[in-house]
Amino acid sequence: MRLVRNLIGTPEGAIGLGILVLLALVALFAPVLSPGDPLRIAARPLLAPFTDPSFPLGTDRLGRDVLAGIIHGTRTSLAVGIAAALAAIAIGLCVGLTAGFAGGLVDEALMRVVDAFQIVPSFLLALAFVSVIGASVPVVVIAIALGAWADPARLTRAQVLSIRERDYVASARVIGTHPVEIALREILPNALPPVLALSAIIVAAAILTEAALSFLGLGDPNVVTWGSMIAEGRNVLRSSPSLSIFPGIALVVTVVAVYLFSEGLTKTIGRGRRIA
Amino acid sequence: MTIATLSRRTLLQAGSALLASTALPTFAFAQDAASGGRLVVAADSEPKNLNPAIVASNGVFFVASKVIEPLAEASFEGKDGLAPRLATSWEGSEDGKSVTFKLREGVTWHDGKPFTSADVAFSALNIWKPLQNLGRLVFASLEAVDTPDDTTAIFRFSRPTPLQLIRNALPVVSSVVPKHLYEGTDIATNPANVKLVGTGPFKFAEYKPGEYYRLAKNENYWNKGEPKLDEVIFRVLPDRAGAGAALEAEEIQLAAFSAVPLTDLDRISKVPGIKVISKGYEALTYQLVVEINHRRKELADLKVRQAIAHAIDRKFVVDTIFLGYAAASTGPVPKNAPEFYDASVPTYDFDVDKANALLDEAGYKKDANGTRFSLKLRPAPYFNETKQFGAYLRQALAAVGIDAQLVNADSAAHQKAVYTDHDFDLAVAPPVFRGDPAISTTILVKSGTPAGVPFSNQGGYANPQLDEIIAKAAETVDTAARTELYKEFQKLVATDLPLINVAEWGFITVARDTVDNVSNNPRWAVSNWADTALQS
Amino acid sequence: MLLIVVILTFGLLESASGDAVDAYLLSIGGGDATVAQALRQAYGLDQSMMARLWVYVSSLATFDLGWSIAFDRPVLDLILERLPNTLLLMGSATAISFGLGSALGIVAGAKPESAVDRTLSTVSLILYAIPSFWLGLVLSIVFAVQLRWLPTSGIETIASGKEGLARALDIARHLVLPVGALALIYMALFLRVMRSGMAEAWQLDFVLFARSKGLSRSRIVLRHVARNALLPLVTMLGLQSAAMLGGSVVIESIFAIPGFGRLAQEAVGGRDAPLLMGIIVVSAVLVICVNLIVDLVYAALDPRVGASESAG
Repeated sequence: MRLVRNLIGTPEGAIGLGILVLLALVALFAPVLSPGDPLRIAARPLLAPFTDPSFPLGTDRLGRDVLAGIIHGTRTSLAVGIAAALAAIAIGLCVGLTAGFAGGLVDEALMRVVDAFQIVPSFLLALAFVSVIGASVPVVVIAIALGAWADPARLTRAQVLSIRERDYVASARVIGTHPVEIALREILPNALPPVLALSAIIVAAAILTEAALSFLGLGDPNVVTWGSMIAEGRNVLRSSPSLSIFPGIALVVTVVAVYLFSEGLTKTIGRGRRIA
Repeated sequence: MTIATLSRRTLLQAGSALLASTALPTFAFAQDAASGGRLVVAADSEPKNLNPAIVASNGVFFVASKVIEPLAEASFEGKDGLAPRLATSWEGSEDGKSVTFKLREGVTWHDGKPFTSADVAFSALNIWKPLQNLGRLVFASLEAVDTPDDTTAIFRFSRPTPLQLIRNALPVVSSVVPKHLYEGTDIATNPANVKLVGTGPFKFAEYKPGEYYRLAKNENYWNKGEPKLDEVIFRVLPDRAGAGAALEAEEIQLAAFSAVPLTDLDRISKVPGIKVISKGYEALTYQLVVEINHRRKELADLKVRQAIAHAIDRKFVVDTIFLGYAAASTGPVPKNAPEFYDASVPTYDFDVDKANALLDEAGYKKDANGTRFSLKLRPAPYFNETKQFGAYLRQALAAVGIDAQLVNADSAAHQKAVYTDHDFDLAVAPPVFRGDPAISTTILVKSGTPAGVPFSNQGGYANPQLDEIIAKAAETVDTAARTELYKEFQKLVATDLPLINVAEWGFITVARDTVDNVSNNPRWAVSNWADTALQS
Repeated sequence: MLLIVVILTFGLLESASGDAVDAYLLSIGGGDATVAQALRQAYGLDQSMMARLWVYVSSLATFDLGWSIAFDRPVLDLILERLPNTLLLMGSATAISFGLGSALGIVAGAKPESAVDRTLSTVSLILYAIPSFWLGLVLSIVFAVQLRWLPTSGIETIASGKEGLARALDIARHLVLPVGALALIYMALFLRVMRSGMAEAWQLDFVLFARSKGLSRSRIVLRHVARNALLPLVTMLGLQSAAMLGGSVVIESIFAIPGFGRLAQEAVGGRDAPLLMGIIVVSAVLVICVNLIVDLVYAALDPRVGASESAG
């Protein structure tokens, strides 16, 4: 809780968190805000925005409600971003923890795999992965996570290496605590904060990657995402630019909010550490 | 004779040889057409094998048809819908077992060697029949090609082969390549498959992968006075929004095959100096089809298929998805093939109530959520419109209580899933009608095609009556009788719904006003462009 | 390490639905089962996965990248043809974004929390949040279609016959928009890293010391603060090189630049395993090279870095 209070203390954190909470609410209450399937054909196609009160942002090529798409798109975009980041952090933590704690050959081998993932352009990897497996939300999440777990893994390992030589870990070892228990109880909580700060960046990158994949036609067709809306609207970019501008704005606002949040978080953690 | 000295009269004469009619408005320009210049055209793909004798596809023809010519080309006004190219006449025997082609005299290959009947015989027996994707079917029973002299080629078949079929197939299957470059080599890997050598109005000059193909004027073209252009450049623009922008910026002068998205046409048609042309694709009609997997017990029920047909609003598809640049289909043969088309088939109006009633009748009641059953729907990824129709169909089916889950896959994965693994319930496909139902249409519904053949019946549908009609038509030499059989075929398909024909469309060409003689034959984009010109 | 990359890519394509022959048949509009069989045999696709992997890895050991199925040409040729375009695109985008980004970062970081700093930070934040494809589309419409100052797409005027300087200028003109789109976004990133590095450097002991000595502010900014803040920036450059290589895919597609990213897209679409692996191996090698250079630069910039500390 203190963390949250400190976070709100920074202007970046306050604005970022504010927008994110708002977006989360929109995502949570999407079915209430805009009931029904957002992909259904609701009205005349290409209705201009701000002309019909029941479709404030107009309709797209097939007559689907743009506002409904943006509301439900919040859901997918946030879900994909957060799920991909969680998956990446989870893999990264496991690998980093194991490598840092086990050391020796295991460390060497795992770090080579991390290297391999770091030198492969992650977008190329995601592109290849999604096109060959087929586009669906879980596949997109995995594809993004695959390209993003290497950084947290490396960071975790570095943290573990610095922490494991500290006194309290050494003493735990002396009193015969099981290594796994040491890893989970002593090392993990201390290694976590910087990794979490990184996670916000991963969420933002994941949202952008999802949009780029959808833009190239590699999104899940059964759900609305901002990226797929931009891709759809792109064909009529010249005649109805609003179709790609609205989801574009939603995307930028979200990503900005996540960055602000992460900056606030970094500041807070940094301040906390300086105090400690 | 250089271009500059070409008199108005020679141009007129040259033009009149091929263009007997002046019915088309663009023809009015023909006499004023300035010669020379470089035409830059948008291209969206770079086929690895550019030899149209082996790969008879529109992507290959688009570039290659200017270099390598067929025996005859499709035509709006010619007899049998054909205009002579390398052949000047063709005649079938009574028994349907031979066709005699008279070949054009005084034609030379781009490397200077003369073109003779030996080239035709070699192309037919060594390439079209054994190697070509479509020729394999059309020339299945071709046994020999006799060449009594340099300008006569007699095709001999082991079984009766309808002249009507051969004629309709000529523009697509009969690209002639030089025997002297291919004989004794491995045809599939011959370098001439990329660096084309033909008899056409343009020579293959240069290919820069990822950038462009450059074709240069053939000074010794058999039709004096042609080609009009000095150069044709196919500029590779893989991004679909790129062609429109490049046209507006005057970096290219022409974009065919709907390279400018349909949604942008309305706007771009208002840009001064740009014209939008929907003619010139009559012989390349694409059909929007719902493929059905009859292995699913629900879909094996005719009532369910009828219900789906009634659930689709064809007007919405034509007006909204195709923005009016399409026509609603009635059956497996498009209206653009008047020779075969039969309008008197059962049709399915858009009627949600009737669809619901049919589904109830079939015993698939709605559950508490209003859903009857779920389906896997795979729209083909090749066109924007097939994907959009997939999105629409999902909604249309939802309206009658069928829950369709869309599966998006890229081309290779879609291909495998539908045509090899049969991992679909419904699929959206865009097959092409190629002038005769026997070329690429009957295969969509006849039984017995092994798995793995793209654009064939892989839905497990088998109807002995339909198979019999198809088999009979394949051997019926008499044109009238054969046409009648195909009318029966259309009725049966529309009645039993092995698949659902939704719409049919041709592509759109967008060109700068300075380009003359655009779209003056039914396969224009893939014809030789000998008379196409640029105003200076 | 490269071996891991190769095996991963190979495994990925193996698990794919549809192979190179499916993709090819589709592109020619159909064909029957015997063609498919013959083609699979010709490309060795009928052999087991392990056998093909072994063939590939052993030929890779002799720097043979194999034969592209989709293009029917040697993979190395294809890559060498496209690589210069991508290098040019990425190189200039990196140089511009690094130069501008660090310069603006110095301006912003010279007086943290000042009005200039806040404006630059906000602008860079928004720029960094804009998807590159979106920026590319907008730039192209404004500058190429509406104003017609610059060409819409391509790497040079086609078949212009230009040579030497004229050709270089022509290519430069074509690169302005794609490079601009990429550089603006990465500039924002570098600006932010530089700025936060500077903000931190102000707190460092020796800077405080320098200030107490009464050195002029601009001298402190450039000599001490900026120099220190440049270090994380250089590290960032190394880390980002892989991301930038991947990020060029979309830009290459929008601006029709025959580069690496587009080749990769075509390789995936055509299920062309040798080509895709070749691309990934070469880009991995590139990233390794960039990081080596970054390490050298880092060592040159920071006298404290000894042999013990690596910048990776």
